[in-house]
Amino acid sequence: MKYFVFLAALVVAHAQIPRLADGHPDLGGDGVWLPAHVPDLALNANIPFQGWARAKFQANNAAKQDDPVLGCLPPGVPRIMLMARPIQIVQTPNRILFVYEGGAHVWRQVWMDGRDHPKDPNPNWLGHSIGHWEGDALVVDSVGFNDRTWLDDAGHPHTERLHVTEKYTRTDAMTMKYDVTIDDRGAYLRPWTSSSSLSFHPGEKLEEDICLDKISK
Amino acid sequence: MTWLALCGLGYCQQTGPPQLAKDPGAFLPASDFPEDKVPKAVAGPAPHLPDGRPDFGGNGAWYPGFNGNLAETTWKGVKSADQHVDVPFLPWTLNTYNERVENRSKDDPEARCLPVGVPRFMFDPYPFQIIQTTNQVLFVFEGDNYLWRIVNIQATGSTHPKNLKPTWLGDAVGHYEGDTLVVDVTGFNGLAWLDQAGHATSDKLHLTERYTRTDSLTLKYEVTIDDPAAYSKPWTAFNTVHWRPGMELMESICQEDEKSSRHMIGK
Repeated sequence: MKYFVFLAALVVAHAQIPRLADGHPDLGGDGVWLPAHVPDLALNANIPFQGWARAKFQANNAAKQDDPVLGCLPPGVPRIMLMARPIQIVQTPNRILFVYEGGAHVWRQVWMDGRDHPKDPNPNWLGHSIGHWEGDALVVDSVGFNDRTWLDDAGHPHTERLHVTEKYTRTDAMTMKYDVTIDDRGAYLRPWTSSSSLSFHPGEKLEEDICLDKISK
Repeated sequence: MTWLALCGLGYCQQTGPPQLAKDPGAFLPASDFPEDKVPKAVAGPAPHLPDGRPDFGGNGAWYPGFNGNLAETTWKGVKSADQHVDVPFLPWTLNTYNERVENRSKDDPEARCLPVGVPRFMFDPYPFQIIQTTNQVLFVFEGDNYLWRIVNIQATGSTHPKNLKPTWLGDAVGHYEGDTLVVDVTGFNGLAWLDQAGHATSDKLHLTERYTRTDSLTLKYEVTIDDPAAYSKPWTAFNTVHWRPGMELMESICQEDEKSSRHMIGK
């Protein structure tokens, strides 16, 4: 009986997308999102490398000790969404905040107030992000990255021309689909895409994990 | 002999006021800070959320400025905490404090990009914002590594999980008392400094924080420090943090090309 109630609850949970008062999907709630671990964003597809980027990818891939996250630097985007470390999403009227347990204990803000990117953004680790809704999908457009992160564990490189488009679609109470487009004409011949998913873990909370604790002693 | 041994371990009573190391003096040009601390905007009434809770957010950010010592009203040439406190040091925390003040805080963990800790973030020059949801209060910071902190709101007051893993920011549970957010924090790792001057803590640290927005531009902060392994009785520090209308937070990654700490050699 208990098992049946549990299953029924699960079915109901799956059927509904939680929504905010304004009708948009609620990407938050009491719990955390756990992204799937995607070590290689290419997912076996053919990546339209420029020559130097292919060589750089192969060098990175063979030199995992040079991975910038080992120095406790922020993983960047989209890698922070591919590391299987919990995430919380907090929606406010003018921006959406992503709070990350893994990486470097950082957060990220996506502006939802209709602003544009700054003309000459100071290159940084998480970029400058603006978002809008396309139906039930949150679309996040980010530029202004430095060139020091890897796109994934495998070591796909990028330049400061990186332009990332992410699409977050909560398909049911427990699941979010993640689609990402990499557009970096400094490293790749044309835009390419990848995808992943996140699962919701009700009632769980983010924990403190300070990367420097592990390397500074 | 027993007396000496116990005294060495910090169990004997202090006789007379503790001999505190002197303020190292103004190494910061005072002109760098005062205008940061008091904005020119005109204050309105403290805002509230639709359900009546105090609203600690809005279009802007809180900016404490530099308040180097949470027990002194001036430190390094600028205004510091709101009130002087006679800190009930145990001998080891007095010695540690004096050493840190005298060696110019050269071993400061925050200068090595480690989390600024609680209550120090309310005294350090990192702007922050407070975002309230139904069951949480999220603090997001520009420094030191674009840090965040979450307070879990509990209707019934303070209940911490058992067997907490020791951390820099501790486990924080909060509740609202009228217009005040009260946060109870424990589960610290004992490594964070309470302020830049160097008031030490142990892993027995237990904090009670009280946040009150007294008008639209002003956040009053009280923190009671209860750490029986570091201080002979609980003591309370006070600060006022000002609102910077329109201020947005920028990503700041301390760990990026960090080259400062190697030059921190004390004196």
